[in-house]
Amino acid sequence: MQVSVKWLKDYIDFDWSAEELADKFTMAGVPVEHVIRADEGLEKVVTGRIEKLVPHPDSDHLQVCSMNVGKDEPVQIVTGAQNVAEGQVVPVALVGAHLPNGQKISKGKLRGVPSNGMLCSAGELRMDLTKLTEEEKDGIYILPADTPVGVPAKDVLGMDDVILEFELTANRGDCFSVFGLVREIAVLSGNEPKWPEISVKEDDGAKAEDLVRIGIEAEDLCDRFSARVIRNVKIGPSPEWMQQRLEGAGIRAINNVVDVTNFVMVELGQPMHAYDYDHVAGHSLTARRARAGENLHTLDDSSRLAKGDELVIADAEKAAGLAGVMGGLESEVVDTTTSIILEAASFNGPSIRRTSRACGLHTEASGRFERGVDVENTKRALDRAAQLLQEMGACTVTQGIVDAYPNPRQPVTVSFTAEQINRRLGTEISGERMAEILGRLGFEVSGDGSSYQAKVPSWRNDVSLMDDISEEIARIHGFENIVSTMPWGNVVQGYQSPRQNFMDEIRGILVSLGMCEELSFGFTHPDMFDKMRVPEDSKLRKAIEIMNPLTDEYPLVRTTLLSGIMENVARNFSRKNEDVRLFEIAPVFYPKALPVTEQPEEVMKLAGIMTGRRNAMGWNQGNESVDFYDIKGVVEELFRRLAISKYTVEAGEHYMLHPGKTAVFRKGKEIIATMGEVHPAVADAFGIKQKMYVFEMDIETLMKYTTKNFHFEPLPKYPAISRDLAMLVDEGVNAGDVEQVIAKNGGKHFKDVTLFDVYTGKQIADGKKSLAFTMRFQSKDKTLTDAEADEAFQNILKAVEKNFQAELRA
Amino acid sequence: MREKIEKLKQDAAKAIREKVANLGELNDIRVKYLGKKGELTAILRGMSQLSAEDRPKIGKIVNEARAQLEALIQEKNEQLKARELADKLSSERIDVTLPGRQRPLGHLHPLTLTLNRIKEIFLNMGFSVEEGPEIEKDYFNFEALNLPKDHPARDMQDSFYITEDILMRTQTSPVQARTMQSHEPNSPIRMIAPGRVYRRDDYDATHSPMFTQVEGLVIDKGISFADLKGTLETALRQIFNDKVGVRFRPSFFPFTEPSTEVDISCVMCHGEGCRVCKGTGWLEILGAGMVHPHVLEMSGYDPAKVSGFAFGLGVERIAMLSYGVDDLRLFYDNDVRFLRQF
Repeated sequence: MQVSVKWLKDYIDFDWSAEELADKFTMAGVPVEHVIRADEGLEKVVTGRIEKLVPHPDSDHLQVCSMNVGKDEPVQIVTGAQNVAEGQVVPVALVGAHLPNGQKISKGKLRGVPSNGMLCSAGELRMDLTKLTEEEKDGIYILPADTPVGVPAKDVLGMDDVILEFELTANRGDCFSVFGLVREIAVLSGNEPKWPEISVKEDDGAKAEDLVRIGIEAEDLCDRFSARVIRNVKIGPSPEWMQQRLEGAGIRAINNVVDVTNFVMVELGQPMHAYDYDHVAGHSLTARRARAGENLHTLDDSSRLAKGDELVIADAEKAAGLAGVMGGLESEVVDTTTSIILEAASFNGPSIRRTSRACGLHTEASGRFERGVDVENTKRALDRAAQLLQEMGACTVTQGIVDAYPNPRQPVTVSFTAEQINRRLGTEISGERMAEILGRLGFEVSGDGSSYQAKVPSWRNDVSLMDDISEEIARIHGFENIVSTMPWGNVVQGYQSPRQNFMDEIRGILVSLGMCEELSFGFTHPDMFDKMRVPEDSKLRKAIEIMNPLTDEYPLVRTTLLSGIMENVARNFSRKNEDVRLFEIAPVFYPKALPVTEQPEEVMKLAGIMTGRRNAMGWNQGNESVDFYDIKGVVEELFRRLAISKYTVEAGEHYMLHPGKTAVFRKGKEIIATMGEVHPAVADAFGIKQKMYVFEMDIETLMKYTTKNFHFEPLPKYPAISRDLAMLVDEGVNAGDVEQVIAKNGGKHFKDVTLFDVYTGKQIADGKKSLAFTMRFQSKDKTLTDAEADEAFQNILKAVEKNFQAELRA
Repeated sequence: MREKIEKLKQDAAKAIREKVANLGELNDIRVKYLGKKGELTAILRGMSQLSAEDRPKIGKIVNEARAQLEALIQEKNEQLKARELADKLSSERIDVTLPGRQRPLGHLHPLTLTLNRIKEIFLNMGFSVEEGPEIEKDYFNFEALNLPKDHPARDMQDSFYITEDILMRTQTSPVQARTMQSHEPNSPIRMIAPGRVYRRDDYDATHSPMFTQVEGLVIDKGISFADLKGTLETALRQIFNDKVGVRFRPSFFPFTEPSTEVDISCVMCHGEGCRVCKGTGWLEILGAGMVHPHVLEMSGYDPAKVSGFAFGLGVERIAMLSYGVDDLRLFYDNDVRFLRQF
């Protein structure tokens, strides 16, 4: 909705500038999005007469003008224009002007002759060029010779209007009209509106009801259908003032009849339609549902096949228009039209909305119907339209209005007390003031000073409850005048769930381990499953499809975080960021059945990736890349910090990981983490040549194994004794298995074991490797003797030899 | 004799002062004069040949000379040690301008940082942090919020549908209804619900098909619009700064009545008008309102007994303003050069 300030001023006085008015509207819940000034940049452009015109002494195309701009002294301006002559009045940009095209006018000299301004063309003033002749567009814009000099050019050019562009909320259909906006101004300013007198002389003896039949078949979709018949129509242009008003409202002038229906729509908020009487079969119009497959041929000359639920206006033979959206082409008013049926109706908003969306047709009319029009306004609109056309001498008006209004609107009355309203708002507004505000908004208010009944005006379908009344009071009283308070009540403890705390804790730990948190979209693409080598029968491939995805890029809801992580790493690589450590905590979605019948399972996951240098690049830092054991260290440290202990780690399998470099962490049989090196084929599919390491976990599972009531372990009172052990074993032996055997056979004083060296190469036979451990023995009760440590150590040696055919090294 | 001793002393002192360059040479001098076979020691040894009368006198002179030389040697010894230490330290000089060995920490995502800040503010005001599913029933996302099918306000948030009745939630507001329905009817609630929401918006500098919202709900006896203002002013001043201007404009949301848009004075230009606030001096920051009685009723609360307010704010918007980020897509690009700045 947009409208010119001039149109509003036709019906009410106010002293506010356009900007002040826009602010008042906005702060009363009628938001103005833009204030558009046609005259922007024309502040220092005035009319001036060319009193003298002489050729430039030093140029064959420049001329020197002596301009009368209404001041005592003439102003000298050098111009290159060829279409100027002495005696003409033209727009003059004075020194200091900043024209709409950005040009700044300053004192200057042109080839040595001082010039103190510029004569302007239509384009330089940003006039509407579509309305000008070729001659007017070319060169300096010449004003009529009798134009007064020294006045602002915008006034004589009709560019002094200001347009307000509204961004109305869905509930305020009543403000989709000049009358509605004027009503708001009246309440805000306290001034009385000057409504135009709406009266029509029915100067054609014929009775409308004899000329046309109006019917409503689909009463659920059409509340009211009213019509007038006008005859002896002379189609022509509408008057200049009306065209200007329509232009300000962003509507193109077409002809007097169409312009009048548009004018009344903007003025009263009632969309209208004009049918060429002679092209309405049977001279009958019925609001009915379209028949499935019925052809709908609309004004924009496009044909659609009806689905069957659209509301149409049909004549005796066919659909003559999409009700409330767009009229039909065949009954369009054209230059030869002589008789017209004017329609003003009230259609069901949701139905119009559906149809307009389905057809992709959003019109001024459909926008108003969607938000709801005033059902009591149809006759007034018809009278107004007939009156305007009659005043132009463009028609005669037949007797009466044909009105189908099967279920008249039942007035709504809302009861409220001032106390209720004040309690809801936290205010102390008197009942009298409330009644006054509502009265000015068109409510009929009765009451005894504390308890009131407000009869809701027909144009305010959004008001039906005390709470709605409270909003009307609040917005007119002014939100800024409500004094802020804090809620009272019992003191309560703020808290978040243990799971939220747990996730926050994990984020903190991973950040301290050098990982960056990423956030990615909850969508994915089926190609990702192929790139990631997800098996055909995996449940990950059973992702939920979005019915109406935005683009082809993301048709599915994700079932794994790794897809997003891989995309993010690939994006970083494309930007030459090759040292990447990312993690994300987010849900994935597993449908309970496909196609989806109920909400899916949402499982909170944690995943991370590491690739690139181990250390930040630097003069004194190694240049090695991270490997499997770096990310394993992250997982182990995470578990240590979460007090998850006594898990096992073994070689495992994962669809997107290197089969020889995949580890599975378990508590008992349950997997608590899977990690490893990204399979080279997967890396390849993402165009990455560098080794990458990922982990994946399930938040709920981790939560199950975290130790909640952690107790510290007392520091030992007695010293520990260490023993080192180096051995040769087959290359296939897992160090972890050796450690387990050591721990199991270490006796009651065994404290811990650390693998401190792994070696293959020189001096080691092929197929063998050397492992070196240090183990500690310690007692809580006494200082151990060497003999005790040796005894335990010997047991360990025996067990290791036996279990791994280990060859002990000195 | 006396002259001989004096000469020895002078020679020795001269040598110590002028010739000795290091501790070794100093030791040589000490041995030469004061050692067991040193020249001064030799005089002492030869004292038996002196007369009894001379002996104590000469003895005294020798001992004085010895004491003086020892003091000189001690002094020289300290000088030389100090110099040697200084030389050693000087040779160990390093380039202190070389960068230190880096032990970089990771970084929380800026949206997490912003959300943590918001959570902290509301937790301190006694709010609980609630959660709800991201794939939601149409009932909770719309209908329980007074948005029946065909309501024009559904246009405001074009949705990703899974089925006719299941969709990607378009707002965190469904957690309102879920929380109320899990509570004893009419019992007080103070909650926020942060989370991801989804809308069919094109991906550009200010829109994203997925973004983060924080819903808030306060219900109790006698909660008023004035309380809404006070609570949100307090929160916004903590999120931004004490001096930020807060403006409430009437608006429309189907689930609140009265409804309000809340603006803050532009944090870039402080209300002067700039590109970020499009010259208005104000920035739209959140939507709020008094909970609509239908919403209370649908979740088993009695609007005659209790009232409440609700609000919803966009975490991206607040993060963009707090950190001066001018393109929302940076948050979901996950470029490590961006992430490492927070």
